[in-house]
Amino acid sequence: MNDPQNATREVLWNIHHAWIMYALLVPTMAVCAWGFYRRIQLWRKGRAEVRFDRPAERVKLVLKYAVLQLRTWRRSYPGVFHAMIFWGFVTLFIATVVVLIDYDFGIPIMRGRFYLYFQSLFVDILGAAAIVGTLMAAFRRIVLRPKYLVYNTESKIILLAILAMLVTGFLIEGWRIAATDDPWGAWSPVGKVVANVSKPLMSHEALLISHRVGWWTHLALVFAFIAWAPFSKMAHVLNSSLNVYTGRLEPVGASLKKLDFEKDEKLGVSALADFTWKDLLDFDACTECGRCTAVCPANRVGKILSPRDIILDLQHRMRAPDADFAASYIGSTEALSPEAMWECTTCAACMQACPVLIEQMPKIVDTRRFLVMEDAEFPETMQQALNSLETRGHPMRGTSFNRVDWTQGLKISTMAEAKDAEVLLWVGCGGALVERNQNVVRSLAQLLEKAGVSFAILGREEKCTGDPARRIGNEFLFETLAQDNIATLDRYGVKKIVTSCPHCFNTLGNEYPQWGGKYEVYHHSEFLAKLVADGKLSGDMPSSQKVTFHDPCYLGRHNGIYDAPRQLVQIATGAAPIEMEQNRSNGFCCGGGGGMSFIDEPPNQRVNQERARQALETDADVVAVGCPFCMTMLEDGINARKGDRDVKVMDIAELLWQSVEEKTSGATS
Amino acid sequence: MKIAVCLKQILDPEVPARDFKVDAAKREAEQGGANLVTNIFCENALETALQIRDAAGSGEIVALSVGPAGAEDVLRKALALRADQAVLVVNDADTNPDPLFVAKTLAAAIKKIGGVDVVMVGREAGDWGAGQTGGLLAEELAIPCISFAEGFEPGATPGTIKVKRQTDAGFEVIEAPTPLVLTITNHDKNVPRIPKTRDVMQSYRKPLEKWTLSDLGVDGSTSHAYSQVAELFIPKKETKCEFIEGDTVEAKIDALAKRIGDILRAM
Ligand code: SF4
Ligand code: SF4
Repeated sequence: MNDPQNATREVLWNIHHAWIMYALLVPTMAVCAWGFYRRIQLWRKGRAEVRFDRPAERVKLVLKYAVLQLRTWRRSYPGVFHAMIFWGFVTLFIATVVVLIDYDFGIPIMRGRFYLYFQSLFVDILGAAAIVGTLMAAFRRIVLRPKYLVYNTESKIILLAILAMLVTGFLIEGWRIAATDDPWGAWSPVGKVVANVSKPLMSHEALLISHRVGWWTHLALVFAFIAWAPFSKMAHVLNSSLNVYTGRLEPVGASLKKLDFEKDEKLGVSALADFTWKDLLDFDACTECGRCTAVCPANRVGKILSPRDIILDLQHRMRAPDADFAASYIGSTEALSPEAMWECTTCAACMQACPVLIEQMPKIVDTRRFLVMEDAEFPETMQQALNSLETRGHPMRGTSFNRVDWTQGLKISTMAEAKDAEVLLWVGCGGALVERNQNVVRSLAQLLEKAGVSFAILGREEKCTGDPARRIGNEFLFETLAQDNIATLDRYGVKKIVTSCPHCFNTLGNEYPQWGGKYEVYHHSEFLAKLVADGKLSGDMPSSQKVTFHDPCYLGRHNGIYDAPRQLVQIATGAAPIEMEQNRSNGFCCGGGGGMSFIDEPPNQRVNQERARQALETDADVVAVGCPFCMTMLEDGINARKGDRDVKVMDIAELLWQSVEEKTSGATS
Repeated sequence: MKIAVCLKQILDPEVPARDFKVDAAKREAEQGGANLVTNIFCENALETALQIRDAAGSGEIVALSVGPAGAEDVLRKALALRADQAVLVVNDADTNPDPLFVAKTLAAAIKKIGGVDVVMVGREAGDWGAGQTGGLLAEELAIPCISFAEGFEPGATPGTIKVKRQTDAGFEVIEAPTPLVLTITNHDKNVPRIPKTRDVMQSYRKPLEKWTLSDLGVDGSTSHAYSQVAELFIPKKETKCEFIEGDTVEAKIDALAKRIGDILRAM
């Protein structure tokens, strides 16, 4: 009789009037469906956006971020407990489906070894794991209390409800085992413990009654939870999955929307109705995890900007029973104030951290567009930068240089002179007009020359790519600059571009294609690494210099390039860079992106100082950068903090040129 | 109230030093790679006029410029800032006429526009810095001029305005009957605003009147009757270093004193 082949249990044992369950299931599912339907109705109020194309790639997103939850793991403690709860519930759900198939459909699958190994042992273990996970979550919420979480009653109720569902589940399992002397009880270890404890304490009658009451309680809890889910944070189970499926497939660097100046009645966004349906879905998909705000550099140095609160405040606005989709949200809360919007460096750390692929930064830029183009209300120093962009084609007000001053003493042709040049060296405003960076472009040009690359520059014909205008929110000015530059580039038939500025790199490569400018664009780190790999350049001078590398946001997070600059450091100094506490996709912004280098930050809230602190902590002699804005910001930060230490900020091109030169002079002497 | 704001297009004063070149023969600055911009004090004047119109809730602003066809740009910018009307007196023949000629041309244009209560000009232009046009313009129009004004409010009696002007010692507040000319100076409240993009887009669709000198009966050949540039050059900066020799301190002091005397005499 105890043949494992026959192992199973009686479904609905000890339960009378099971029809009530079926009867309750209908309204439960109806309420749940209605809840989600109402959500969908809200999203449909947004404007159009294409997010259901390329299904194969989207399924991959779901596997990575919804099933495996790769982003959630980036913080280990919540990563672990979330996985325990998630997989616990997935397993319990499968177990319920097994019962359904076996009992309701009459297909006997809940039998034998499958019953013992999966339905009993595995389910028990995963259920227990879910309890542990829930307790860990509660411990974090009650004792650890990290500052980035949202503390509200709903979150507590959810944890309590999950715990109650799991505990009642185990209680009724245990009481059933005890009352039926289940010969397979030991395969359900947690249930068996409950049984062993209850048996000496409770009469058979008591076991039966407790089981029956427990069963109905469990059922009521589960059904109530399902019905309530779409109205609570638990809606994230579906909303977030949908948000992941409809997530961005392009690099972060291509995440700003194109406007239609002919048709758009309003430029930028100031009310819920101006957002697309995907933006509205973003608000609803938020799990309140706070990771975005925890990594936000502006927030870290004590500013009011909080990407989490931007998303949540808009969510509350959208869900309010009397939500006014046409009213302006700007200034309605602190997170949605213009001051907060003018603190964002567009570093995209928030987007990179969000486990459910919410796109916070583009919403900030959308709002800035409104403030700049419709209201013309924004910080004066940014206005001056844009004014200069408009009249002079560069944002560097007061520079005493022109676009070709840096070439003095070098023989560098312009495209007008060397029409057959294979590569265009895009110098950028930061490279040409800021004295410190001129040495970077000089180094780069000399490296290209040494490697025998046929290259030329645009010289005075180059204009700002428009990146600062776009990030500050003047899309109109950006478009004008983009069209001017594309016309120039196309006039010379430019195909390949190399630049030492990640902002130019991003705009030329990710944004110009939308205006018809399609070029092969390289950041100098990639281009130089390739020249070294092809044997056209060699450095490799073992050096005693200790180097750390600062990831530029527009190279790293916006474009996923992390290795090339590190390789160059290795080639130039013979050793891999020492990593700062925050590096690669978790790198900390220099504070200069998004037009923020045109703003005077309060002295006690400077992003560059915080990054300089991290850089100095590595004890490096050289902080290597790959961006003219990082150069300025970090040099300022390091100089303010280094004391009497000798720490230099150098671009990777300077490092490589230094080593190539040393090698050459070493070989000849 | 009808305010005419005169705007001058000039060479970008922020042109990098190395890029600034002069054409000695033409006695003019070369444009080279530099841009043309609206003179900053003229922008202050326009900003002041806009604020006055905003505060009053009504009024009309006419933006007026004399210059080559390309000076249309400064008027488009003024239209983007919501000036009500724009008039360009095209003078392609001479890009650098003397202040009296400019004043005469502006005066003729203002008479043609008609009904102007207050004329605002920048206190001086960032290119030549002559600072004469405002005064001469008042003379030509035979109306008073208040210089270095920050702005004005309505006066106690109708037909007058109360003008605040900067002086070396502080401020003066003058109540004066209109029409008159104000030369506007910069202060912390008239930093030029920036236009809304929608207005920039629309500024290209707004009407802009273009008059020629002959439309106004101005004789173009008199553009230098008042003053002429005799010579134009960029001064050479030279630094020299000399060591004063001498065996004793007294001898060195004597030699130094003699040398300084020589230099002063040479100057
Ligand atoms: S882009 Fe960077 S600065 Fe802006 S909200 Fe996100 S994390 Fe903060
Ligand atoms: S936006 Fe994303 S990262 Fe930020 S709190 Fe919501 S779910 Fe978390």
